[in-house]
Amino acid sequence: MFNTLLKFIGLSGLWILVISCTDEPTNPQIDYSDILKTETNEVIILTYNDLNEKASLLSSRINEFSANKTQAHLDLIRQLWRDARKPWEQAEGFLFGPVDLQGIDPSIDSWPVNVIDLDAVLASNDPLTKDYLDGLEGTLKGFHTLEYLLFGINGNKTIQEFTDRQIEYLTACAHSLQGETNKLFTSWINGPYPYGEILKTAGDSSNQVYLSQKSALQELLDGIITIADEVGNGKINDPFVRNNLTLEESRFSANSKQDFADNIRSIQNIYFGSLNTSFNEQSLAGIVKIKDAALHLKTSDQIQLAITSILSIPGTFTEAISANRAAIQNAQDQVRQLQFILESEIKPLFDKL
Amino acid sequence: MHRTKIWILVSSFCLGFSCTDQEDEGDNLRAGGATTVFVENSNSFQFPAPNLSPSELELHRLGDQAFEGIFVTAPAIVNGGLGPVFNQASCASCHPKNGRSGFSENPNDLAGLLFRLSIAGQGPHGEPLPVPGFGGQLQTKSIVGKQAESQISYDFKITQEFFPDGEIYELRQAIFRMTNTYMPIPTATLSSARLAPPVFGLGLLEFVPEAVILKNEDIQDVNTDGISGKANWVWDFTESRVRLGRFGWKAGQPDLIQQAAAAYNEDMGVTNPLFRLESSTGQIQDDTLSDDPEIDQELLEQTAFYTRSLAVPASRNQSDPTIQNGKRLFIKIGCEKCHLSNLKTGSSPFQFLANQSIQPYTDLLLHDMGDGLSDGRSDFNATGNEWRTPPLWGIGLTLLVNGHTHFLHDGRARNLQEAILWHGGEAIKSRDAYKNLQKSERNAILKFISSL
Repeated sequence: MFNTLLKFIGLSGLWILVISCTDEPTNPQIDYSDILKTETNEVIILTYNDLNEKASLLSSRINEFSANKTQAHLDLIRQLWRDARKPWEQAEGFLFGPVDLQGIDPSIDSWPVNVIDLDAVLASNDPLTKDYLDGLEGTLKGFHTLEYLLFGINGNKTIQEFTDRQIEYLTACAHSLQGETNKLFTSWINGPYPYGEILKTAGDSSNQVYLSQKSALQELLDGIITIADEVGNGKINDPFVRNNLTLEESRFSANSKQDFADNIRSIQNIYFGSLNTSFNEQSLAGIVKIKDAALHLKTSDQIQLAITSILSIPGTFTEAISANRAAIQNAQDQVRQLQFILESEIKPLFDKL
Repeated sequence: MHRTKIWILVSSFCLGFSCTDQEDEGDNLRAGGATTVFVENSNSFQFPAPNLSPSELELHRLGDQAFEGIFVTAPAIVNGGLGPVFNQASCASCHPKNGRSGFSENPNDLAGLLFRLSIAGQGPHGEPLPVPGFGGQLQTKSIVGKQAESQISYDFKITQEFFPDGEIYELRQAIFRMTNTYMPIPTATLSSARLAPPVFGLGLLEFVPEAVILKNEDIQDVNTDGISGKANWVWDFTESRVRLGRFGWKAGQPDLIQQAAAAYNEDMGVTNPLFRLESSTGQIQDDTLSDDPEIDQELLEQTAFYTRSLAVPASRNQSDPTIQNGKRLFIKIGCEKCHLSNLKTGSSPFQFLANQSIQPYTDLLLHDMGDGLSDGRSDFNATGNEWRTPPLWGIGLTLLVNGHTHFLHDGRARNLQEAILWHGGEAIKSRDAYKNLQKSERNAILKFISSL
């Protein structure tokens, strides 16, 4: 499918839009600090706060599971896993800063699950505590290990299949996850160098990380291009084109479509500078709208089209790989079209800031 | 989960329109020739070379997935083969964002820091002799149920020194200890700490002609400038012959295939067509599986191609007067004698790498860096004091990409100035010349290096 995209782009005759080799000077008169504040405060930090709160709720309810081992409680914590997953996926459009620099991402979202080692730990007498889980490899903790334990490898795990040891592991794993989400959230707002301040003060003489506001804005833009690429050419492409269900993200929980859509919402949030799909003038979209109002409209529409096309795939993503390939193809095309707009039309605008 | 990278579909298709593939962008210079990208954010090391063909770009994409792929304990449906002992579970764990690993403050997870091991002597091809029971590298992690070869602890040795102008500076060195070894480690064991370096631009360095590199050798210092420069000659396991070493802190690997294969085997415990035996073979931690090689040739080549086809970030703000002055001083005090600014690649089966004028700031040769940096351990022709000149391109983006400024082979330098001040041996004249500069001049040199 990647070749399909290349073919499409080649036929479109738009290659020349992909790169700018201009030596036009940047415009030192424009101050983008309000945009950086909005993106930091209204999107990134709020998303991480939401993630942390939902991970906390998930942990507390899983903590009650051993005393309330009922189908109703299992249904609840499965839903809370999905709820916590949502802001994480909506944060994947800005995978820079502490999530990467502090090695938090592997502890939250490593894949695949190390099933052999997980079974070995469960069979051992090791005390299953948060500290113990914290010391394990990423493939033994985080969202996907929780997912594997909660839903089972085929997504049909029954309440009777949960052992005390598994519940103990689930409890420690959820606690460990929440520790990571808390670390992630606080790293943007607290400490000697909160990353939120680093991003917001880009271009200040004291800022040794982002030497210019342009660099920070390009960071934000590259972040959403990256996730568009990952959804279109990785998350959808790999299980779909290779017809290999083991490559599907969140297959155990059948949450893949939601994951993909939330990834695109991550683009939407950063682009609009808000979490509620409303246009915020102080955002990447604000820059685009001033420079090219038609492009802004096209981008807004394409974001929505990508989300809609993903969510309108019938059934689960797993089922659709064999039963509704045209719908998946359409979703992939829409995501790739969004990526194409971002990198071939919007990126050149930002290169000239 | 899968962390693929940015596929900016840049290409030489722009030729004939707004630019050429050799054109600089303002005062940002094409350090990597036509493989250069003009990006200054945390993704700066993650772009494919912009002059890849569509089929090469697709191969690069597959290589990216391989580079990011996390291995787990075998048998597994996906990415089985980790360990039984290992250092990290993926390539990207040691080379975050294709960049430089930082010095970890967490002794339980050393990130991209590993330890090469040997005992005195050389093997039949000149290679270091493995340590009985531990092999050629210390694996500090294991799969569940096995025991890591060792843990690492360290203390810092701090020394305080002065610039001639009275400014005080401190140098910090970690003194490492192996603890909780799974069996007693021989007392005569030699070890060398190595921090994982960036992986972009390697394809260009792979195709700098051997003759160009050797032309700069001056083993006997015939020109009496105090700088020798010596090639390392290492064993090529594919061709079963001695070849020029290019990669690694001591230039111990001849090409990117072998570099990748050795890393899979030693760093991750993943056997492959080039190194089919587990790193733990003969040890009690060894697995009993008959699944070797755990990856095939295709995946190995995809991984090598990924490192071969990454773009090089442009050097920046080269018309800035302070940076220009810093460059002048950099040359004046002799830094450029080893950190060569200009090289040219030769012919290559990979057209995107052929005949590129590049500014890597390395001569790819070994130099005596003095006792202070010595690891006391030889590696083929490299003595304990000798290290390959590391490239400087992209070094100024380390803080932005990797969030730290830890440099030198074991990450002891906490910033560029400390890295300069650790220089000894052949570089002692340059180091002392640096120390004798005015502070503003020293800052100019640092600003210049930071612009690369």
